[in-house]
Amino acid sequence: MVKIEVNGEWREVDPGPDDTAVELLRDGLGLTGTKLVCGGGVCGACTIHVDGEPVVSCLLPVAALEGRSVATVEGLTRDGHPVPRAFAAHAALQCGFCTPGFVVEAVAFHDRWRAEHGTAEPPAEEVAAALAGHLCRCGAYAEIQAAVREACAGRFDEPGELSGPRREAGEKITGAARYTVDIRHDGQLEGVLLRSPHAHATVGTVDLSGALAVEGVRAAVELLGADRTVRYAGQEVAAVAAVDRRTAEAALAKIVVEYRKLPAVIGVDQALADGAPTVYQRGNRKPPNAAEGTATPAPWKGNVRGPMALFSTHRRRARNLIERARAAGDPLLVEGDFRTQAQAHTTLEPHAAVARFTGDTLEVHVSTQAVAELAKLIAKRFSLPEDKVRVIAEHVGGGFGSKAGVHAETVAAVTLARAAAAPVRVVFDRLAELSVTGHRPAARISLSLLADRDGNLAALRVHAYGDAGIAIGSMIAALGRLMYPAPAKELVDYDVVNHTPYGLPFRAPGAPPLSFALEQAVDEAARRLGRDPIALRQKWDPDPGRQRLYRWAAGLPVWQRESRRTGRFRRGVGVAAANWLYLWESDCAVALSVRGGRLTVSTAVQDMGTGSRSVLAATVAAGLGLAPSDVDVQLGDSVLPVGPGSGGSRTTATIAPAALSAVAKLKAELVARSRLSGARAAADGIRYAGGVLPWPEAIAAADDLRVEAKRPPDDATLSRSAPRAMAGAGVLGALFPVMMRLQGPMRIGRGYPSGVQVVEVEVDTKLGRTRVLRVHGGIAAGKLAVPELAAAQARGGIIQGVGFALYEERQFDPGTGLVLSANLEDYRIPGIADMPEIELHFDTEGYEHVPGGGVGLGEVATIPVAAAIANAVYDATGVRQYELPLRPDRVLSGKGAT
Amino acid sequence: MTATYELRAGATDLTERRRTGVSHGAVRDIERSPELTRIDWATDGSTTIGALVTADTVSSDARIRSGYPGLAAAAAGLATPQIRRAATIGGNLLQHNRCWYYRHPETSCLRKGGDSCPARTGNHHHGVIFDLGPCVAPHPSTLGAALLAYDATIATDRRTLPVADLFTPDDHHTLEPGELLTAVHLPAPATGEQAAYLRTISRAWAEWPIVEAVARLVITDGVITSAAVAVGGVAPVPMRLPDVESALTGKPPTAENLAAAAKPAAANATPLPMTAYKVPLLVATVEDVLHRAANIALE
Repeated sequence: MVKIEVNGEWREVDPGPDDTAVELLRDGLGLTGTKLVCGGGVCGACTIHVDGEPVVSCLLPVAALEGRSVATVEGLTRDGHPVPRAFAAHAALQCGFCTPGFVVEAVAFHDRWRAEHGTAEPPAEEVAAALAGHLCRCGAYAEIQAAVREACAGRFDEPGELSGPRREAGEKITGAARYTVDIRHDGQLEGVLLRSPHAHATVGTVDLSGALAVEGVRAAVELLGADRTVRYAGQEVAAVAAVDRRTAEAALAKIVVEYRKLPAVIGVDQALADGAPTVYQRGNRKPPNAAEGTATPAPWKGNVRGPMALFSTHRRRARNLIERARAAGDPLLVEGDFRTQAQAHTTLEPHAAVARFTGDTLEVHVSTQAVAELAKLIAKRFSLPEDKVRVIAEHVGGGFGSKAGVHAETVAAVTLARAAAAPVRVVFDRLAELSVTGHRPAARISLSLLADRDGNLAALRVHAYGDAGIAIGSMIAALGRLMYPAPAKELVDYDVVNHTPYGLPFRAPGAPPLSFALEQAVDEAARRLGRDPIALRQKWDPDPGRQRLYRWAAGLPVWQRESRRTGRFRRGVGVAAANWLYLWESDCAVALSVRGGRLTVSTAVQDMGTGSRSVLAATVAAGLGLAPSDVDVQLGDSVLPVGPGSGGSRTTATIAPAALSAVAKLKAELVARSRLSGARAAADGIRYAGGVLPWPEAIAAADDLRVEAKRPPDDATLSRSAPRAMAGAGVLGALFPVMMRLQGPMRIGRGYPSGVQVVEVEVDTKLGRTRVLRVHGGIAAGKLAVPELAAAQARGGIIQGVGFALYEERQFDPGTGLVLSANLEDYRIPGIADMPEIELHFDTEGYEHVPGGGVGLGEVATIPVAAAIANAVYDATGVRQYELPLRPDRVLSGKGAT
Repeated sequence: MTATYELRAGATDLTERRRTGVSHGAVRDIERSPELTRIDWATDGSTTIGALVTADTVSSDARIRSGYPGLAAAAAGLATPQIRRAATIGGNLLQHNRCWYYRHPETSCLRKGGDSCPARTGNHHHGVIFDLGPCVAPHPSTLGAALLAYDATIATDRRTLPVADLFTPDDHHTLEPGELLTAVHLPAPATGEQAAYLRTISRAWAEWPIVEAVARLVITDGVITSAAVAVGGVAPVPMRLPDVESALTGKPPTAENLAAAAKPAAANATPLPMTAYKVPLLVATVEDVLHRAANIALE
């Protein structure tokens, strides 16, 4: 027996030899604020205090806690400590999954600092060093940094509520927020998956009897597809549900699978080799789609799907112009072969699902970015009526594109729950997360860009080979049609399938890879033309939003400064522009209900850290003269009115206009029911013969009522001043919105959400390290629904872009196809000390046709980062970068080539 | 080489290996006796650090910081703060390597009883450049490199040995199954010695080193009279660099001399196909750490 004091209470527990503190706290004591993320002490999410010192609980045996005092986030935040208030006030979090760990560490740092320094504000570097063991994938580092410094400075000593711009911040800061991994039903079983160790094999029998014979096992099922073929190492083969995880894992080892190994191709080189084995046989090509839209039909040759060249214009002319220029040695022909790597989404909450059948109704808690759609997909997959499936996601610990659709964790949980007739939870470990749950497809891009003597863009040629593993749908070159109009463009996309895990959409699919190639080529063209890179973009790029951003960027003092190209530490400045799409969903609705004089807004959207709760509350409150705290919010439940998936930056652009429509409907309903003489709706309230009844009073006095409104179309008159949807894409561009309308509820609106970023870097030419010192991020996406959270999205997108540019890289074993970088030590995401200073500039014009005046910006913020950094590295070193990430060895290897 | 049980100290390495299934079998917790958890200062100026003293304590103890600054800085640079508060100096020396094949539950390798090294023929991006043994993973112990530079001695419940003898290219360490590392003994520091530690990584913090180096210099009347330089991340054992040390001795600590002395650091390197990039980084890291120890900026 081990005696431990937990949050002030002595407990006696009887641990197994391998039981760790995090398991005891979460599963044994129900203190689920402590999160298990990496299992290796790298990410800090599981940090607890032991005798007042923050330590890693995922590696700490329970036995080591004998006689010691443990404090978790729940205990540390209940007595009015200033750090939680500072986190809430600064909205120092997004998805919130890392937040308890940060808070626990920050409380200790705060107390230490105050004891030694009083209320002096700690320097940023000191805070960063203290928090160096904590990772936030959403990128809330700037807000965290500010919160900790100000708490130390005594600015949050005054007792009070946890309040700030992010509505659910308090729950996340105190560890009360329930994520899918925290769900615990009575009699709930734990499900684990058996995965193929082979990259390519057909599977004969799967003998589950050994697993079923293990005591504590309640179900074992097969998870193979109809063709009984595994096409990547780590593909799920079977699953077991048992009373606990260890029992289930022990049972997995008893399953006997008859694999017939087949030759495999790992990566693009092997897939393209002569005589390479093919991933899909003719007539049996059913690859998953890594794109957000439907894949267009294309020819196959071996493992190559393509060419897909629909977005080209005057293709032959482009080719001829470029070939002639090459033959003539034209210096205005810029060419390069670029490589971008696979980027893992690395959501801190793993993929997880908890399935439970109650009668004939299936309820599934899922860590998903599409509750409404997922309920339909699950119903279809398991042949259930749609009204018998309910999907719940109260809080989602990050998605970034990897959590839309029905994935293996959901299939396994539902299948096991059905077989075991008991609730089953399936939670992936970090090895699976970083191996098989999706990634931004890697790419090879050959790009040729030709300028003419007058400095015009004459031709562009982009051939992009996407590597999404066994998946298809890479669309990179095609995006080159939407920026920098030119008389001739050859834009060709290919997929190269190979026996590695499937890619998925990731924050602006296809755009960062193209940007890395295209924006560096534009930079090089400017250099050869002897023009300023911003001035050249102003000449080539007609987009009105970006034109305004270019004027802002050109005026930045840093843009005028000279680069420092001598000595060990070289400094440079680079620019890159970004273009994205404005999407929204037409079938979505928002409901407003008044119950007992209090207002609730609801829709089946989910909040994966982007701030949907805050957007809904702020939008509704502003329309009615209420404070956001006067509005209750319900979301994350598929029984609510249909809400959008969180992808394609469409969430806010869908729910904010729908909420405004609902507000208008509510006002009309309140007027109709007021029975006041001459009543009509005015901005401030119900105007009537006796004066004005303000909206808040009208709501407080109203009988219970409910209204619901769909997302209205954009204003047709105001639209005329905005660029057409898919402007610059010719006939195809004109057809595109029509085709979209025929396919489903997704709509594409007028205007390109845009970005222009100016980045300053310092390159250590001795040790090869590139530091991003400052990012000036300009974004044109209209008005901001909640300015603080829009800024947080932008900063997060920039920090993920820094990771893509400098650190993140998936590594394979070339023989087996196993992902080797399947832990957070080897898959390196940016930490708090890697964060640049970020200065944001929002251009709020141009979206007057959208109700509310703004669109989404989560994606456009991340697109240009790597390109701008590469241009800045060139400015500093004189060496062009062709491959991401810009690792020390890559930055140094080009050093001599100046 | 497998013990019938594995000893458990701070458990930061062992727990992870057991969670992923790489290690299994019996575990025995080390009893937290006072000798194992304290730092003793002898009258001759030497120091004995108990095996269960944490990396955090090694990095923050005022007397270690002043007497053995290279060791304290090395301890401050490893892992993450929340690991350093749990991980022990003994465990850091005896931890298993970080090779991604060794750590992957689906692979077989020499250190897991297999008959070949999959990293050698596969992806060894983080591998060694001094190919001294069958396994190509660098030794993971940052404190091992630092203690090598400080000529430390290791005490176990059975014997004492120079810290260099704790390491072998053929296994995780040279201790017998069940042998308990009890303490680390550091000779008294030389008068006026200066030291530095440098970890070459891509991010700012919390990364296994591409290369790491510790340098101790005694500079008397403007001349280096004694030098000790040790490196990690480049070989299956932490390594001293005698050629660098001898090139420094007797020279004034000028930028030219330090750069010239760093050159032989990689003279005997035998890089693998994917690790050649570490060769210039080793030389540059040594050059930089020498500058830091000599307290001059490397431009």
